[in-house]
Amino acid sequence: MINSEIEAEIRRMFAENYELMRIEGGHSLSADVKETALNQVIHYWRKMKDVAENVTDTEVKLNLPELTTSQGRKYGIEGVVDIIREEDKTVMYDIKTHDSDYVRANTAEYEKQLNVYAHIWQGLRGQELDQTAIIATSYPKAIANALKENNERRLAKELESWNPLIDIPFKQENVEETIREFGEVVEAIESREFKPPSVDKLKSSLPGKKYTFAVQVCRNCDARFSCSAYRNYIRSSAAKSDSMLKRFLNDFGSDLEREDWRFSNLAVTPSPEDEDTVGEVSSPM
Amino acid sequence: MTEVFKTLDKECLMLLTTNKLSIQKLWSQVNFRPNENQEKAILHNGCPLFLTAGPGSGKTRVLLWRTLNLIVFEEVKPEEIFLSTFTEKAAFQLQEGLRSLLGLVTNLTGIPYDISKMYVGTVHSLCQKLIRDRRLSKAGKRPITPALKDALGQYFYISRRAFWEKMTQAGNLSENPEENLSAIINEYFGSRSSSRHVAVTNCISLFNRFSEEYIKSSEIKEQVTDEILQGLIDMYAFYQDSLNSSDGLPQTDFSLVQQQALINLEASTASEQIFKHVIIDEYQDTNTIQEKLFFKLATGHQNICVVGDDDQALYRFRGATVENFVEFPQRCQKYLGCDAREIPLNTNYRSRQKIVDFYTDFIDRCNWRKSSGTGHYRITNKNIQAHSQDKNPSVIASTAAKPDLVCAEIAQFVRKLIDTKKVQDPNQIAFLYPSLKYRGKPSTQVKRMMDALEEQGLKVYAPRAKGFLAVEEAIAVFGVYLKIFGKPAKGSFSGEDYNDFHEWMKECVSQANLLIQRDKNLASYVKERREEIKTVTKDYQILLQVAQDNQWDLKQPYDIVLMQRSLSNANGISTSAKKAIGSSYFKRVVEKRIEEGNPFSLSYVINAATSVDWSVLDLFYRLCIFDHFKTMFDLAETGKDEGPICNLGLITQYLARFTDEYTSVITAQFLSDKKFQVTFFMSFLYSLFRLGESEYEDADDPFPKGRIPFLTIHQSKGLEFPVVILGNPRKDDRGPQRIEQIVRPLIEREGEPLERMSSFDIMRMFYVALSRAKNLLVINHYKGQGQRISEPFRTILSGEITRIPNFDTSFLPEAKEDIDELPKNYSYTSDYLLYQRCPRQYMIFRKYGFVASRSQTMFFGSLVHQTIEDLHHLLTSRRQKS
Repeated sequence: MINSEIEAEIRRMFAENYELMRIEGGHSLSADVKETALNQVIHYWRKMKDVAENVTDTEVKLNLPELTTSQGRKYGIEGVVDIIREEDKTVMYDIKTHDSDYVRANTAEYEKQLNVYAHIWQGLRGQELDQTAIIATSYPKAIANALKENNERRLAKELESWNPLIDIPFKQENVEETIREFGEVVEAIESREFKPPSVDKLKSSLPGKKYTFAVQVCRNCDARFSCSAYRNYIRSSAAKSDSMLKRFLNDFGSDLEREDWRFSNLAVTPSPEDEDTVGEVSSPM
Repeated sequence: MTEVFKTLDKECLMLLTTNKLSIQKLWSQVNFRPNENQEKAILHNGCPLFLTAGPGSGKTRVLLWRTLNLIVFEEVKPEEIFLSTFTEKAAFQLQEGLRSLLGLVTNLTGIPYDISKMYVGTVHSLCQKLIRDRRLSKAGKRPITPALKDALGQYFYISRRAFWEKMTQAGNLSENPEENLSAIINEYFGSRSSSRHVAVTNCISLFNRFSEEYIKSSEIKEQVTDEILQGLIDMYAFYQDSLNSSDGLPQTDFSLVQQQALINLEASTASEQIFKHVIIDEYQDTNTIQEKLFFKLATGHQNICVVGDDDQALYRFRGATVENFVEFPQRCQKYLGCDAREIPLNTNYRSRQKIVDFYTDFIDRCNWRKSSGTGHYRITNKNIQAHSQDKNPSVIASTAAKPDLVCAEIAQFVRKLIDTKKVQDPNQIAFLYPSLKYRGKPSTQVKRMMDALEEQGLKVYAPRAKGFLAVEEAIAVFGVYLKIFGKPAKGSFSGEDYNDFHEWMKECVSQANLLIQRDKNLASYVKERREEIKTVTKDYQILLQVAQDNQWDLKQPYDIVLMQRSLSNANGISTSAKKAIGSSYFKRVVEKRIEEGNPFSLSYVINAATSVDWSVLDLFYRLCIFDHFKTMFDLAETGKDEGPICNLGLITQYLARFTDEYTSVITAQFLSDKKFQVTFFMSFLYSLFRLGESEYEDADDPFPKGRIPFLTIHQSKGLEFPVVILGNPRKDDRGPQRIEQIVRPLIEREGEPLERMSSFDIMRMFYVALSRAKNLLVINHYKGQGQRISEPFRTILSGEITRIPNFDTSFLPEAKEDIDELPKNYSYTSDYLLYQRCPRQYMIFRKYGFVASRSQTMFFGSLVHQTIEDLHHLLTSRRQKS
């Protein structure tokens, strides 16, 4: 199979997966978002060919049983590793649909996860890993622009300078610390502590991102309408002229987002047919 | 790079150095002392194994140790074991139990074990796994996973008017086009109903049975002379074809998925060798297709081990045939050409002696002898013995009296058991009934008992006693929906269900009126939505008129230059529609489609411009801003009460089902002429109402503390309770189900005689109920007008039995607290990271299973991951080939 055949195969598999997930999840993606997803896969293949061609195991299920929280509750940790490559050395990769600059700015966040995964994998297999790394598939704006302009030369150049591979160092102390934190989260979940974050947190920017928590997380959360924290956030930031309720209820996103939603979902839903009540006929039974 | 294992303690080091770990040493480490037969069953290797396991005989433990023995001492790889259980919970328990024991072994020997690739789960989940298993697919080819329809999905698929019409046409049931085909079908099933709903459920039960029996329509059609049955067989063939031929992906249902797995196995040369051991739990509830599947998997290595109890067979209505179990040794001869070793697990560790005596005597009170005179329809020589030496009375009955008095006496007695600490928590006392509800509400007997308990200040928990739509939360939410979309008028139809449903809608509306009265924000919100619907439908009419005036065909491609101006300048059109038609986004999308050679039609553009901006699911989330609903979230956030939020979560699941089955965008076209109203209320919700979908149940925590559980006997399968109260010892024998009569001539098996089948089933059902009790079994003894008790209870209760007023509770042992809770597993990404991001979001979407309305991010991530994974598999198989 030559490259173009593989890319054709990627497109085919992508389309099939999209259909299956759309049917099972009942949602569709807007055309732009769907194209971005496909481009991420294709450019992963173009850029990380060496890794992709030498994968020995994928979707490896991990499980660390018999842990105990500080309160004495037993639990286990589960995870899934995307890729293991074993050639001259054994490497564990985790694929994230995040952008590489963000990952580089926040390695600590990823370190914890990969360190714990490495710890579990090594325990289960009785074998050491030589390296762990993140592959960040969200390509930079420069590549997006080159794609938009359909500029092959520029695309090749931008692909050249893109580095989606981020090495994650192993630190044993991370493992213990993360497992301890994990135990605290388990305790909190089991004791049903489900309060939303504070309004201050909603107003703060996420590390490495330009948007606030409210914009990045809450605005994408359907449950914001019943959330006290988000309600307070809206109240403190709403324009005086609008009533809080009105502003809140009209919070469907921008005009663009609305049209996008209607257009893309209308396109895939079959037109509703003329349904009757399921077969009632007038005779009494 | 890291030290992998914990420091081994001295004892372990010793074991390690002597390298003499044995299973007996492990047993002594965890304090397990198997009896002789248990030990034999655990260690058996070499030929098929037939384990007849009476109630409470420790079969789960035997299975656990048997599997461990295979992995650790027989060196079978976990992925070479196929272990099927009846429920996901049982699978989880086995898996976690195994993980924990293997962890112990690793600590002793340093050898790691990874069981993540082991096949353990319900038959259905394992069938899906088999279909996806790349070991079974043709080299390099990616297995196509059919989309699986659950029972409700199957119902909606078949009951869709367009589909139903095509399918019944294929059945060619009547020459007269005026005739009601549903009535013809229902009559064949012995019912006088003419409703399509009834006909659909009848067809589904027959289709599923055909699939489970592995009946091929082309083969049986010729045997059949009855024209209606021939028609039904054609309809079945049409249904099957439709699942595979629809333009998109192949689809399947829960019965056909098993067939698909078997077909895949038969097509693959590797399939017989993949599993060295096939182990099946609850084998008495296995159906024909499953039997074929299991034996196929076991063909290569001949190691098939089945465990079960024919006396506890409960699922004939799902196609299970208990003969598969009773005749397992003969089947081994037939499929594998070898003998099976039979080991009975007959020591009961669960119940006090008199309880065991009672139910073993009970099951013998039915004649199981074959009419030929030789042999029985059950395994007779079980010789079940109680381990308990406690000979004190442990089976008692209420005073024989009118139902009110009986319930009052039982309720007082239950109060006494709780007050005198004979149980640690009310949830240790279970009320079991053959069925709990009648027409969507608790049955008379159940209601009476609940009321009597509540009179004693006791709380009950009975999620299956009423339909989900009858819960308060559903009434409030759908009440507001009825206010927004308008309540469908009651037609001239009659019929119980139809009347009940209209009564329900009335109740919803009056509840919504109350809420609207109390909350003026909600009132204005409802008013705005109604106006919005009016506006879009008006816009729609105006735009249609423009098209008509210009003599444009709605199906013709949308032409911006020609049409846009006339549409957006139409007289009387709302500003939002005007804005939409003229927007630059609109223009861009339209142009892109023209470029792709796939332009939008005019009607598409009109629909897009005149849809509301929300789906039924969006509407739900927006309603949650109002205090009545928001309070339910607040209660859950602080852990005060999770009842309401559980039901709200379930509502989102059903609303998502509507957007899946019908549409998420609500167009003005859909809203016109009451089409939406009819579809949403009279088709969708009415179906849920008639199907009797149950309210929320938490699989992890089925019996909340502080409440007395009411269960159907089927629900109690595999469970045990310190005190069991058989709330209604009555199940009328109405003869065999019609479907048994239909199917019997079409299958090769002899099976249980039709005329004795239902009495056998009733005996087995009560046997399950009676054997759930650990310390005490109580039977409600009703007497008086209209009260009947089934045999053999009538005879037993007319003999000597301790009555509640004479029962001395001082000999009743105190129930121990259940500490059998398994540790839960938490996922790094979907639990830990999600909780850290926002605990509230975690609670709503992860803990209580709300379905998000707009989840692009999740979809995006899964899509990229899945496709990259597929790419890797493609590359790996290419590499292997070259």
